[in-house]
Amino acid sequence: MVANAHSLDSPALPPPRSETGAIGWARENLFNSRFNGVLTVLAAIAIILTLWFSIRWAASEADWKVVTRLGSQFVIGQYNTESACPGQNCAWRPQVGLLLGIFLLGMAWGVAGKSIAKPVALTAAIAVSAMAFVPYSLDRMGWDTRLLLLANLPAVFAGLALARYTPLGNVRGIILAGVAAFSLTLVLLGGWVPGLQPVPVLRWGGLLLNVILAVAGIALSLPIGILLALGRRSHLPVVKTLCVVFIEVFRGVPLITLLFMSQVVVPLAFPQDFSQNSLFRAAIVITLFSSAYMAENIRGGLQSLHPGQAEAARALGLHGWQITFLISLPQAIRNVIPAIVGQFIALFKDTSLVYIIGMLDVVEIGRAFIQGNPEYLASAKELFIFLAIVFWIFTYGMSYVSRRVEQNLGVGTR
Amino acid sequence: MTLSRLIIAIALLAAVAIAVAACSRETQETPTEQPETSETSRLDTVKERGRILCASRNDVPGYGSTDADGNNVGFDIDLCRAVAAAVLGDSTAIEIRLISAAERGPTVQAGEIDMLVRTVTWTSSRDAQWGNYAPTMFYDGQGFLVRKDLEISSALELKDASVCVTQGTTTEQNLEDYSTQNNLNVQVVTFEDTDAVVAAYESQQCDAFTNDRSQLAAISSAFQDRNAHVILPETISEEPLGPVVPHGDENWYDVVKTVMGMLIYAEAYGINQGNVPSAATGNTKVDRLFGISGSFGQETLGINLTAAQDVIRAVGNYGEIYERNLGANGVNLPREGSRNALWANAPCSDCPKGGQIYAPPLR
Amino acid sequence: MTTEGIPQFLTYQGIPLWRHVRVLQWALQIVSGVLVVVLVTWFFFNIGNAINERDIPYGFSFLQRAYQTPIGHSFIPYSPSNTFLYAFLAALTNTIIVSIIGVILATILGTFIGVARLSDNWIVSKLATAFIEFFRNVPLLVQLFFWFYVVLALPPIREGYAIAGRLFINNSGVSTPWPAAPSAPAAAAWIALAAFSVIAGVSLYKRLTRRETMTGKTSYPVLYGAIAAVAIGIVSWFVVAAAFGQAPLVISNPEPHGAFGRLAGGFTAPAGLIALMIGLVMYTAAFMAEIVRAGITAVGKGQTEAAKALGLSPLKALRHVTFPQALRVIIPPMISQYLNLTKNSSLAGAIGYSDVTNIAKTMTQTAPAVSIFVMVMIAYLAISLTYSLIGNLYNRRVRIRGR
Repeated sequence: MVANAHSLDSPALPPPRSETGAIGWARENLFNSRFNGVLTVLAAIAIILTLWFSIRWAASEADWKVVTRLGSQFVIGQYNTESACPGQNCAWRPQVGLLLGIFLLGMAWGVAGKSIAKPVALTAAIAVSAMAFVPYSLDRMGWDTRLLLLANLPAVFAGLALARYTPLGNVRGIILAGVAAFSLTLVLLGGWVPGLQPVPVLRWGGLLLNVILAVAGIALSLPIGILLALGRRSHLPVVKTLCVVFIEVFRGVPLITLLFMSQVVVPLAFPQDFSQNSLFRAAIVITLFSSAYMAENIRGGLQSLHPGQAEAARALGLHGWQITFLISLPQAIRNVIPAIVGQFIALFKDTSLVYIIGMLDVVEIGRAFIQGNPEYLASAKELFIFLAIVFWIFTYGMSYVSRRVEQNLGVGTR
Repeated sequence: MTLSRLIIAIALLAAVAIAVAACSRETQETPTEQPETSETSRLDTVKERGRILCASRNDVPGYGSTDADGNNVGFDIDLCRAVAAAVLGDSTAIEIRLISAAERGPTVQAGEIDMLVRTVTWTSSRDAQWGNYAPTMFYDGQGFLVRKDLEISSALELKDASVCVTQGTTTEQNLEDYSTQNNLNVQVVTFEDTDAVVAAYESQQCDAFTNDRSQLAAISSAFQDRNAHVILPETISEEPLGPVVPHGDENWYDVVKTVMGMLIYAEAYGINQGNVPSAATGNTKVDRLFGISGSFGQETLGINLTAAQDVIRAVGNYGEIYERNLGANGVNLPREGSRNALWANAPCSDCPKGGQIYAPPLR
Repeated sequence: MTTEGIPQFLTYQGIPLWRHVRVLQWALQIVSGVLVVVLVTWFFFNIGNAINERDIPYGFSFLQRAYQTPIGHSFIPYSPSNTFLYAFLAALTNTIIVSIIGVILATILGTFIGVARLSDNWIVSKLATAFIEFFRNVPLLVQLFFWFYVVLALPPIREGYAIAGRLFINNSGVSTPWPAAPSAPAAAAWIALAAFSVIAGVSLYKRLTRRETMTGKTSYPVLYGAIAAVAIGIVSWFVVAAAFGQAPLVISNPEPHGAFGRLAGGFTAPAGLIALMIGLVMYTAAFMAEIVRAGITAVGKGQTEAAKALGLSPLKALRHVTFPQALRVIIPPMISQYLNLTKNSSLAGAIGYSDVTNIAKTMTQTAPAVSIFVMVMIAYLAISLTYSLIGNLYNRRVRIRGR
């Protein structure tokens, strides 16, 4: 584990023996002992076999018709169907939401400068714009859709410009813009302004649904988790007990039973017409579930702090809340960034469980389609592999960014 | 530190207070939607909302599925559209809520939806517990699908076989009853959803697949080797399927029953999407059905006199709905001579056609 | 003690009540407590009302009724004529066994991969990284379906592999020989005696180890302990066999049976269970590997170097120096992974395994949904709390030893 520090990117070190070049590198990293040599050979065989079979299967046997057939349904579900948006084309609304998201990434690039934000923003913008060239016929993907997709490239630079040349170019500006963009997207999607056709939330689906639930969940579960963590550490017995009970109950049962309960029991307690609010219900359950975990992560961070920090702050004359919010919490959160991001990732993956309450997220769109149209049942494997890749791109992206942020903050290197 | 805790506690309290306020505000905003207050009927609620809420499914070919554009289609969906056309004059004013088999009971009991059309078998305990059943619109029965190369011709030969079944329905219980009664000792492999159960059957994890016959037909017709499978002759259960409405609103129940009657009588009178009359035809029964002269109680029910015109123009008569979803243009279940034919052609109630699709006279 | 942060002059003289910290705290606690009680009461009162008004079935009287529905697989004998309560317990047993076996396997695999990720062999460490990054970044539901299709790709039962006529592998599952008890009292008697023999062996081992460390005399504690345990076990076997007139346990072999070649006898792990187990173990192991890696890297570099200086091999250093210290960092997050694995097993129904959530969903067809889901939630809470308790106890032991 120590020798790993010598890796590919430092070949310039002066070599004592013939340890430069491919052979030297291999000798040092792959065959430095007999045991390692055997391991290397075994691992290489495993990799080659796996690759060989996967590529052969993907190229010759696999039939990706279910993926190409569903196309945009994976992204927006039933959002633009006749019953959701009668007599109009509503596809532009989620696209505006996408534009706003890319715009925000551009702002992040402008604020964070030459960090990880730049490659992420550029990659995302280019990848999204590239979708404008999907070889669908024009009636499956019209000019308007393609143009709006292409507009993502200018959007990222607009965000960059806004961050660079206006007073909004700071973290507070991004948060403000983020809240504004998310609210605007929700209002647009729901059509809750005069002149727009309202679209029932039950018809929001696909990745759009996963992303909305995840963004809302992430934005809300962090503050709720912080409050719960502080409550659990409180000396007030009633507050403490309430927080402990809440955290342990929500951490102790599976999310799908909570979702199921929210579907069959909660409506009994609220006598109004609640079914319109499936999205709302799902968001609440996922947020509460996630904030119980978040609370424990943050509590771990608070526990890892040396008491001297709070004592020093008090000696400097800070008040209780100042100590908590200016001294303890920032350090605690910085210490547990990996755990928090891990929880965000878990939350994003958990959004695929909303199928329990009849919402069509990206997974369920595909599953329901192949079940309702049995001629596609044979393509189930391809469908699941496609879905795995889609989720992987998002979650791996999140964990990659968090690792880079962690490095930049210098966590763990003291 | 104490002060910080104080502030935190206040914040927590505020959060709770906001939650309470939000809940109570919602309750005030929508008092009309309380299903148990029978002063405002569900019909008024639906009209006010402008949409009808149907609980259905999207994973069964023929009954409820989504097409490649994402639209909900199917026999059950069309029944929902018919009610929307009758009540609101617009067959697209529907909102399909997708629910699992396990949620059917609780959802209709809670009165969250106006109508449950999700292949719900009419049984006495469900009728008592869940809601009111409108007339049966499709007679189904549970059967077995097996591979031909097993060379069996009767379900009674399934001794010691392993049988795949989708769970959360009466299917499992029926299979158990049949197995016990005939001493078959089958091994049961249960799955929550059709995609898994079909994959298991196709890879021969189990020897037979049991489900409603209509679904077996629809699924097996999509197999690559569809001629290598056969549905065994035994029907081991009785599965009358029809819409369910929540308990406690007689008027709404009557409206749904009447709309089902319209579909059946339109077929009996030979009226289809293409020839819906808007002026007197001379046939008093047809004129009464379509609100041209006379009435069959539309005013009392609270629907338009000409509701039947809207219904048939929008979704067609029972035969057309069947044809589109379950017949030749759908999953290809033969109707002629089956229980799902009409009981008779209407002009002649003495010439039975052998079917059981029936509604009380509309007059 | 609550006045610690308050400057003296504030508590010193009569400050108004509404600014007195202790008064405020108590007022706040009472208000929040009352508010929560009111909310909860209101919630359940409304539910009670709804249940009455809409004739929704409720209560737990159904538990004594016969369930009359088959369960795909259960570790304890089950027949459809059993009651709801028994069926629920059978399904709960499935969940608990899946959880325990899954936790053991995932811990082993996770530790292995966590260590592999820190290997100085480039390809092994990258492979471990790839494993982690793939399996923890894809929703478990999708992974379960993947493994389900992998297991289905095995040959069907009539063309499956039969190893030595005893072990059967096919896409319906894996069947192995398994002990069966022809007479329950005999089996129970022998198992009790066998348990005693294990205890005797362990205490002998401890005694001999102590003698070895005290006197320095080589005493072979493992060898003698094992001999003692096995000997008592074998002797009691014959005693029980003589007393009851038959062997306490016999080996039951799976054998093809009936026209369809289905296997009877032995023990069959059904395909759903296997796919579920692989999926849960892979998924959880990916998270555990990261925990193990973090734990190992948290141990100061000086420790490893000191061990090396003392002449310990890298493996011994890991075993005796790094790992015991890393455990302190590893255990708390590991326990939450155990909980996660247990809760994630609730997705079993999608791939055809009868865990408690899955059976509960079926039960709602013929019994009150509210009651059943209350039972399910209590069951999971009980499992979670048990794991937390064990984890905390173990954690405390590790901690004390460490200081």
